Amino acid sequence: MIRAGIRRVLSLALRRRDRWEHEVEEEIKLHLALRAEQLVDQGRTPDDAYAEAVRRFGTLTESRARLIEAARQRETRMQRTEYLSDLRQDVTFALRTLRRDKAWTTVTILTLTLGIAAATAVFSAVSSVLLHPVTYPGADRVVVVYQQPAKGNNTGINVTISPSAAVIRAWKTDAHAFEAVEAFAQSDPKLRTAADWVDVHATRIGAGFASFAGARPVVGRVFTSSEAAIEKREALLAEGLWRSQFGADPGIVGRVITLDDSTYTVIGVLPADLRLPRVGASTTDVWLPLDLRNDHTGAAVVARLRPGIDAARATAELDSVFARVSSASGEKADLRAVVAPPGRQVSFRDSLMLLGYAVALVLLVACANVAHLMLARSDSRRRELAIRTALGAGRSRVFRQLLTESVLLAFAGGALGVFAGWLGLRAILAASPTSLPALTLAHVDYTTLGAALGVTIATSIVFGVLGAVQAGRESTNDALKSSTQRSTTSRGRMRQVLVVTEMALSAVLVVGASMLVRSVANLQRANLGFEPTGLYAIYPSVPRGTFRNNAARGAFLRTLETRLASVPGVTSVTMASAPPGWWRFLVGRLEIEGRPAPPSTSTEFIRVNNIQHGYFGVMRQGMVAGTEFTDTTDAAGQVIVNAGFAKKHWPGESPIGKHIRVAHDGTEPWRTIVGVAAEAATGGPVSEEATAPMLYTAAMDSVTAAVLVRTSGTADLLQPVQALAHNIAPGGGVTVKVRSVETGVAEAIAEPRFVMWLLTLFTALALALAAIGLYGVLGYAVAQRTREIGIRVALGAPRTRIARGVIVGGVALALSGAAIGLGIAHWGTKVIQSQLFGVARSDSTSFVAAAIVLVVAALLACIVPTRRALAVDPMTAIRSD
Amino acid sequence: MSRLPVVKGTLDLLVLRALSWTPMHGFEIVSWLERAGDGSLELEDSALYQAVYRLEERGLLQAEWGVTENNRRARYYKITPAGRTHLRAETKNWVEYAGTVTGILTAAKSSLPNGDAS
Repeated sequence: MIRAGIRRVLSLALRRRDRWEHEVEEEIKLHLALRAEQLVDQGRTPDDAYAEAVRRFGTLTESRARLIEAARQRETRMQRTEYLSDLRQDVTFALRTLRRDKAWTTVTILTLTLGIAAATAVFSAVSSVLLHPVTYPGADRVVVVYQQPAKGNNTGINVTISPSAAVIRAWKTDAHAFEAVEAFAQSDPKLRTAADWVDVHATRIGAGFASFAGARPVVGRVFTSSEAAIEKREALLAEGLWRSQFGADPGIVGRVITLDDSTYTVIGVLPADLRLPRVGASTTDVWLPLDLRNDHTGAAVVARLRPGIDAARATAELDSVFARVSSASGEKADLRAVVAPPGRQVSFRDSLMLLGYAVALVLLVACANVAHLMLARSDSRRRELAIRTALGAGRSRVFRQLLTESVLLAFAGGALGVFAGWLGLRAILAASPTSLPALTLAHVDYTTLGAALGVTIATSIVFGVLGAVQAGRESTNDALKSSTQRSTTSRGRMRQVLVVTEMALSAVLVVGASMLVRSVANLQRANLGFEPTGLYAIYPSVPRGTFRNNAARGAFLRTLETRLASVPGVTSVTMASAPPGWWRFLVGRLEIEGRPAPPSTSTEFIRVNNIQHGYFGVMRQGMVAGTEFTDTTDAAGQVIVNAGFAKKHWPGESPIGKHIRVAHDGTEPWRTIVGVAAEAATGGPVSEEATAPMLYTAAMDSVTAAVLVRTSGTADLLQPVQALAHNIAPGGGVTVKVRSVETGVAEAIAEPRFVMWLLTLFTALALALAAIGLYGVLGYAVAQRTREIGIRVALGAPRTRIARGVIVGGVALALSGAAIGLGIAHWGTKVIQSQLFGVARSDSTSFVAAAIVLVVAALLACIVPTRRALAVDPMTAIRSD
Repeated sequence: MSRLPVVKGTLDLLVLRALSWTPMHGFEIVSWLERAGDGSLELEDSALYQAVYRLEERGLLQAEWGVTENNRRARYYKITPAGRTHLRAETKNWVEYAGTVTGILTAAKSSLPNGDAS
């Protein structure tokens, strides 16, 4: 210690480096002088003696340099050792003090852990799913490009349009805002294997896609040019399929595979981590060349912006190129381009953002709590610190001591928090509904991890140090004298402010959570307008080319439908082009006879479902007016509208018998409305589509139809239906997907319910932390007022009054927090609005519930301090101190 | 009598030995070695300082600025407890080693400095 002290004093005047040099110089000088003196004593002349001294020392310049270097090394090493030994001492001491305050330490570490864990888990999910869903080169400039109707649409569904090949070609050559424009199109063909057919996911890509995505082939090569690849029928396998179906055969190149009715030659294998820039898209098994020469194909577009070009400018350029292409081709579609980062299209986006906000609040509450705990501790240690200062501990030493404690706590909390966050994210993924494939992308993200750690660690250190500084500023004398007074110091007030903040933030969360709880309850109770239980949609799929034409396919479906009726458990059967969960649209101008026709340049999206006789019965969907189809032939031209359609076009009037048509070229026949169907939320209660206007037509579009069956009970349909399909389908390879509509509807609710549970969990967390904070403040207040309480009891104050004092204090803090919080919530419910179903933003029930929950939490936090206040023994209290 | 080069590693030992009596500054150590070794050790004076710095770095010595009898500022070196332990152990090693080697060589009387361990 003394050595260190001297070292420090000496280092005041000179810089370190200079000091060693000077010291070494001084030592050498002294040595030479002493040696010369010795030699003079032995009878040499002074000059001779000095020369001899230098000779004996060794070559002067050289040895001096060597010694300085040795001294430098020595100093560095010793400083490190000294620093480490001080650190070890600090850490040992800090650990001892922390262990003495077990309860406090536990609560602090727990607070840090929970805050960091929640933030890490959710922010990681937000970051990896929404912000960094693609890992392509230059990922921050990679965008997806699609089109939307310029004037929006009234179908209740967000329509995105894949641009046509002609447009993509023009964009590729003429859109200079982009470094590269690539297209891809997904399909689900069947792969012929030795024994059978296997369903696979194929993606057609251009020759530049692999390098755009930064993927190098595992085996073989990629497409060299799109034309050659199409010409030679080349195919690339994905690593997964190559391993599962071809045993990772290294000699796969040159192998011929059969997909549906076409053969391809394998030229290479692409790595498993090559994913499409579409979050939640199914994994590609086979990569095929995309033919952009055929103008009828549409494809999804992904592009990389040139550095410095923003989305608005790129969009404008895409739109102008599109306008040129469509005017040249006589196309009238009124579309606008959308340029968006890949994360924008994630369906779970709003929910994830909401959870992100929620967790930010939890983190804030945790930080406030840590701050509060730190201040409380430095309060209770004022005497200890004062005594140590009085006994001669330097202020900087005390400061360092407190800093060490804060850092230790922060690291313990940080490490546990990261681990818990990792576990939490895994738990969230495990609990997440299967309808959220996007979430599988989520992994602990180092940036967010760093941010979460940074925020909490900074808080604990800042407030740890703040406490230390305040403790230091206080005169030692004061601190020693006044252990029981000064209960309402500025620090006491600051802690109250922190607790009110925690309560306010928690109130915001409670409001949000109770809104979601009510919303999900509404969803579960919602009247869908049809009966999903016992309803199944059956999608048969055969290798392409199995049927000569649509008529043959229609015949197959009709046979399947007829035979299905005799499967045990099946009570009724029908067909529809848009079974529940699917949407189909007509694009054209809706004309109503006797009303002015819309301008011929306008187009509109109109939801339509081509249904077969018996559809409404099978669905158990009611009719509001009119009848079902009495004649399903095209010639009869019958059409049924839904209630939304009727309300929109004939408010307060019956649409039965009116004539409408969806005009494209103007030669379409008029159709007669024969019935009005009740609105049905076939996509589940969440979407707003139920009330959107739609048409039901009787003409069967057999190409994409599914068979709908209603069963009594939950019959396992897959086996019998599969067998049936095998019997009727010509050739092999028919597979049947049987989807329970009930499951589909449940999946649609699964997401909001999942979000609700998470939000409730985070709210409970925040509330628990806030209650701990309140408990701390009240407990402290009671401890500070022990003497006063003792005197009051001695003077005859009833105990109930003292208890009431504590409780009123606690509830007052909670209520002021609640008041502020509810104010914030009133303004902040914007972010939750899109998640609410049948709950208003200003839902008073939720606000009242929040206030009640907060008061209850406050009362719980009051229990222990109140009991402590009641237990004050007047004699001890007055005598103490 | 020819002068003997100092065997590598033994200089440290000799310095520690010198300081085992009392703290000394650099020149005092050199003089002590010359006296104790009868001037038969061949050693550049600067090598001594290098050894001293090395020992200080290893925590076997401790340095402090002090004042000589004739009021000159000098860096005094003091052996640390760790240095004493080290000296004891190494001296024992050295004596055993030297004894063994001497025995094997059965050579003429060597003129090594007195190296008996206290």
